Amino acid sequence: MSNALILLMGFGFWGAAWGLNIAVAGSAFGRTRTGRIFMPLLFGLTLLVLWEALVRALGVPPVILPAPSAIAAKFASSTDVLWADFVQTAVKGALSGFVIGCSAAFVTAILCDRVPFLRAGLLPIGNFVAALPIVGLAPILVMWFGFGWQSKAAVVVAMVFFPMLINVVAGLQASERMQRDLMATWGASYTQALWKLRLPAAMPFIFNGLKISASLALIGAIVAEYFGSPVVGMGFRISTAVGVLNIELVWAEIAVAALAGSALYGVIAIVERGVTFWHPSQRG
Amino acid sequence: MRRVGPIFAVLAALLALWYLAAIWMNATWVYDQAQRSGVEVTLAELIPAAMAQDRPLLPPPHQVAAKLWEGVTAQAITSKRSLIYHGFITFRGTMAGFALGILLGVGLAMAIVRFRVVDKSVMPWAIISQTIPIVAIAPMILVVANQLGIQGREVPKAIIASYLSFFPVLVSMVKGLRAPDQMQLDLLKTWGASEGETFRKLRLPASMPYFFASLKVAVAAALVGTIVGELPTGAVEGLGARMLLGSQYGEPLITWAALFASAILAGALILAVGLVERLAAVKMGVRA
Amino acid sequence: MKRILTAGLMAAMASSASAEDVTLQLKWVTQAQFAGYYVAKDKGFYDEEGLNVTIKPGGPDIAPEQVIASGQADVITTWMSPGLAARERGVPLVNIAQPYKGQGLQLTCLKEMGVETTADFADKTLGVWFFGNEYPFYAWMAKLGLATDGSAGGVTVLKQAFNVDALLQKQAACISVMTYNEYGQVLDAGITPDQLVTFTYREEGVTVLEDGLYVMEERLEDPAFQETMVKFVRASMKGWKYAEANPDEAAQIVIDNDDSGAQSLEHQQYMMGEVAKLTATGNGALDPADYEATVAALLAAVSPDNPAITKTPEGMAWTHAITDKALAE
Repeated sequence: MSNALILLMGFGFWGAAWGLNIAVAGSAFGRTRTGRIFMPLLFGLTLLVLWEALVRALGVPPVILPAPSAIAAKFASSTDVLWADFVQTAVKGALSGFVIGCSAAFVTAILCDRVPFLRAGLLPIGNFVAALPIVGLAPILVMWFGFGWQSKAAVVVAMVFFPMLINVVAGLQASERMQRDLMATWGASYTQALWKLRLPAAMPFIFNGLKISASLALIGAIVAEYFGSPVVGMGFRISTAVGVLNIELVWAEIAVAALAGSALYGVIAIVERGVTFWHPSQRG
Repeated sequence: MRRVGPIFAVLAALLALWYLAAIWMNATWVYDQAQRSGVEVTLAELIPAAMAQDRPLLPPPHQVAAKLWEGVTAQAITSKRSLIYHGFITFRGTMAGFALGILLGVGLAMAIVRFRVVDKSVMPWAIISQTIPIVAIAPMILVVANQLGIQGREVPKAIIASYLSFFPVLVSMVKGLRAPDQMQLDLLKTWGASEGETFRKLRLPASMPYFFASLKVAVAAALVGTIVGELPTGAVEGLGARMLLGSQYGEPLITWAALFASAILAGALILAVGLVERLAAVKMGVRA
Repeated sequence: MKRILTAGLMAAMASSASAEDVTLQLKWVTQAQFAGYYVAKDKGFYDEEGLNVTIKPGGPDIAPEQVIASGQADVITTWMSPGLAARERGVPLVNIAQPYKGQGLQLTCLKEMGVETTADFADKTLGVWFFGNEYPFYAWMAKLGLATDGSAGGVTVLKQAFNVDALLQKQAACISVMTYNEYGQVLDAGITPDQLVTFTYREEGVTVLEDGLYVMEERLEDPAFQETMVKFVRASMKGWKYAEANPDEAAQIVIDNDDSGAQSLEHQQYMMGEVAKLTATGNGALDPADYEATVAALLAAVSPDNPAITKTPEGMAWTHAITDKALAE
């Protein structure tokens, strides 16, 4: 097949898929659940087809940018390596750090809530630190906590703590004065008011913090592996496979990272829907 | 004074904690070295020894401050040893990524609000894109950009930075452009306003507060993206590269100084954007 | 495959429109390890040959093999192990010169962690560099019969960062060092040589050639490119010999070329002194016996998950065509 033909077919597929998506978006099917999933899927598929066509037609060397089909083949043939890396980085490093960091932030937020002095002092600092490139701490934390997954978890904790903290603190302020006064007139204790009113009211903020932290967690765990790791892990593989020109494996790891990140985000979104069904943003 | 008091108290507590941690963490090395040469160290000898190491595990604050000061003042700001020079490289990358991110975010938001099909098929991917760790793709972006004939690191770095900074702009702008309610939209329709006019006279002004609110997040994200772009992609200039090189050459003080320089840069950027936001609010008639 | 390679070749040609422009991609950051090239540039040796040489520093995440395959460099410095690995993966690199006769790679261990001989490696943690630099280590472990998968009686492998912290913090019993760089960092940190046990790869019977100059095979068919490379190698070797004779000046030249501004002059002077020991014993021509020894060492350690090469390299992995002309007076 000539290169021009491949290219033409790639763009042809793009046009056809886009046309189909426009049709679906305007139709009744587009409003069903399946339709809402179908459209982004088709769009994603289009990007892959276009990528494949460009790589093939232009003869891009596989050591520069491999075709999606080659990446998929690599993915299928090295699932054991990918799984071991996933467990090491995503589960041991990112997830444990995520849980520790978010819990610590939660406890600190409650403390801030009880001690107004602490809130006045810590919150502006937290706001500032949340905007900092904490990821630069990675080489230092790897030096402190060793090469195992513990140092990766430590980087993740450092990265998620402050974004989570400011979200929870903001959330705890979210209930209205009148509602809080009402709780007080009913003689509710601090814990009762917290459980029955303020935590539920804070949920949208808490989930927002969790979502931000979820994507930060994977970044942190992967970057930390650049600065020393055992011979397993997604960051290890990404940073070393390039050196031996195993570019397909790098992209396969990127795919795993994308899947893991999206899955974590998806789980949080689903739990959020269950917990904050009452909130306006979840209606309609 | 009531507002800054607690902040200073917490900062002072952190500083004290830092000093204690520095003594505690750097002590191991002092003890190891003493044992290797077969001498005893007392506590009085330990503290100064832990405060003035060449490659401390945790440098005490004054050591970092000294290094930072040296990096800023000890040479001409055009020197490659100057932190100002490297800070400027990072600042330039951040601004390029910030601008690209704004363009991308606003453009995509306009398309999403205007075309249902874009909303339905592209918006989910915009969310997914943020769950993909950018660090994994950063070196690949560099290689592909090189292959396309783009020399240097400026463009790939800006792409990496905009990858992170476009998202907050996008989300806020979609919300903002949809902020006018049906009644207002209907009113414009009865006046016979065209789509372009509705956009210019109603949707765009309505979205401005949302837009400016997103800028602070976006500029911080652009800085993080720039530093990530400088960390593992073989860059030799910029604060991110300094962090990496400090670790590479076994000079942790360089890393710490770069870390604090980037914190200062972040603070300055956020302040500047906040100022722009306030100016814009005043100009648009909001009483601040 | 053929078409892909031609495309790569065309890209390579496009990047060097003028025949006398040469782009050199280094394997690592600007340091005295590459002093010869910087000296040749700054002392005008390249200019004398009518060459306009651009030196691109490397770093973590930069694979010179990938850079040259994408046509972004005309010639690269790399170790022979990743060079041969690239050849087997469809990037036919040819060694045209070998300024480094000696081997700087070592494994250095803290005595207090209980390592005196190779027999003590069992159940210890050893730091290794990856990114194509791990092959000599795996070849050596295979020779010693030590498992590297972390099983009992074997060794635990650690991907060490680019510094010596792993040893100083006692996270590893031994770490990889180059004689001219990290070993000096260990000493600088306050450890004395008698507190260390150091194993040299060559003495342990693992010969793997380090920094050589490599180009793409197809381009060597072009006589004009050959001529350019002859000039390049001649000027580069002149630079190396000058650097060996004037180490302090060479170190200063390296510092002048360091864009990061993080290298210190003292360390570069130390590095230049050590590097000279590795380059001074050779004249830049590859010794075929060293090549054979490298191939043998790599083939001895074919592991299923991490092979450098799985068979004897095919085709022209090295040539004397350039050095024969460049070094003839």
